[in-house]
Amino acid sequence: MGQVGQTRRVQEYDGELGAAVARAQDGDETAFAIAYRIVQPGLLGFLRGIVGDDAEDVASDAWLEIARDLGRFRGDGAGFRGWTATIARHRALDHLRRRRVRPQAGGTDQDVLDLAGPHNTHEQALESLSTEWALELIRGLPRDQAEAVLLRVVVGLDGPAAARVLGKRPGAVRTAAHRGLKRLARQLGIGGEAEEGVTDVASRTLGESK
Amino acid sequence: MNDNRDRIDRQAPDPGQRTERSGRTGTETDMGERLSGDGPRGRRRVRPGGTLPDPRAAGDDAALDAPLETALAAAVRAGDPAPQGEQQAMAAFRAARASGAPRARTRRRDDWRPAAERRARRPAKLTFGVVFASLALGGVAVAAIGSVGSSTEGAGSDSGRGTTIPSAAASKRPGGAAPSPSQGGARPTDRPATAKDTEAHCRAYEQVKADGKALGATAWQRLVVAAGGADKVAAYCSGQLAGTTARPSHPTRSGSGKPAKGASNSANATARATGAAGNSQANGGQGQGNGKNN
Repeated sequence: MGQVGQTRRVQEYDGELGAAVARAQDGDETAFAIAYRIVQPGLLGFLRGIVGDDAEDVASDAWLEIARDLGRFRGDGAGFRGWTATIARHRALDHLRRRRVRPQAGGTDQDVLDLAGPHNTHEQALESLSTEWALELIRGLPRDQAEAVLLRVVVGLDGPAAARVLGKRPGAVRTAAHRGLKRLARQLGIGGEAEEGVTDVASRTLGESK
Repeated sequence: MNDNRDRIDRQAPDPGQRTERSGRTGTETDMGERLSGDGPRGRRRVRPGGTLPDPRAAGDDAALDAPLETALAAAVRAGDPAPQGEQQAMAAFRAARASGAPRARTRRRDDWRPAAERRARRPAKLTFGVVFASLALGGVAVAAIGSVGSSTEGAGSDSGRGTTIPSAAASKRPGGAAPSPSQGGARPTDRPATAKDTEAHCRAYEQVKADGKALGATAWQRLVVAAGGADKVAAYCSGQLAGTTARPSHPTRSGSGKPAKGASNSANATARATGAAGNSQANGGQGQGNGKNN
């Protein structure tokens, strides 16, 4: 889908990442640090979207397993991102099971979030997108949509890789990501649909008339 | 009035709803609904109209979503990772490296090579497996043909009994000098096979004994029973393996009944076949004769 820019940016590092992983598998500590620094931001963002404030702890668990099983891994840089995301996701699901807390399925904060984004232009909406708010928005999505969006946009996986991490068919993941992004766009007031524009006008008229 | 319209609106089929909505854009009812953020309603409003591009029509919404995705990714990835996270990861890496096993077996879930590469590798393995299996099965088939052919030939022709059978028994199949006349012609081929089985089991046992489950299999149980206890298997096996290659002839015959251990019988038979050819020939002849009677 339309994550060309982001995907390209993330994938710029894939060559470097692949080389670093290969050297780390041979025992190179510096290379492992390089791989960590390339992978960790996306991995942490993914975990923040699933487990919230416990993301650092879960990421730490995940890296323990990644370091332990590094010798088993086969693949390139992109593959390493998918492999690490799978491990991190398993740790996150374990964590949630232990905590017995499900991430909020969409709908509850919907009203607040919808009202929170009365931006006139896309630029305004996107510029003001803070980490906390972005995460809150994503966590407001249904679980499958949130995970699909996180894997594709934040971790930067392609469709088949995201589907493999989630254990679903690529088509299902693509649809979930698409719906999630649509919903986020709507909540940010940048739906881009004619109808949305019409109601924006409507809301202003309403405000004036009242 | 407004309530009434709202109710109608909810019940109206979607196309009608859409036209009606466009006709009364800006009314207070419409606004109230929108601000209340009615989830299902919102979805119904958007979907059937077809204003949303199909998810599969990627080109259409690429331009629309790219800025959003870039902004989302930037925002979510922006948070500073705590420095102790990296230290912990490095410590884990050092610990894993120190504990050895740097190249553990790659499980399926660890293989993230591109699909084409994986597919190319799998058939190679598969082909090897098929070839190996066909060779193994083919070998069994060929062996079976040989044994059946020679025994029927021996049993069928009286004149050939003195010449073909003893030579076959003495050279190719030492077990042919079977000490059990009642067993018939098919029996001799079993014994060397059994000996080899024991040998093979012994060899395999060394590799498998670490795995508790495999030892539950019948073959292992039989081996353990033959050895007289799980802890004696090693000794038993070393005896067997040595016996098949360089064991001197057994002093006593194991009787005219069924032999307890194939390997020792095989050794017996070999010794007899080489040392007492006449005897073995006589035995062989007798065996075949009885086989015919059976």
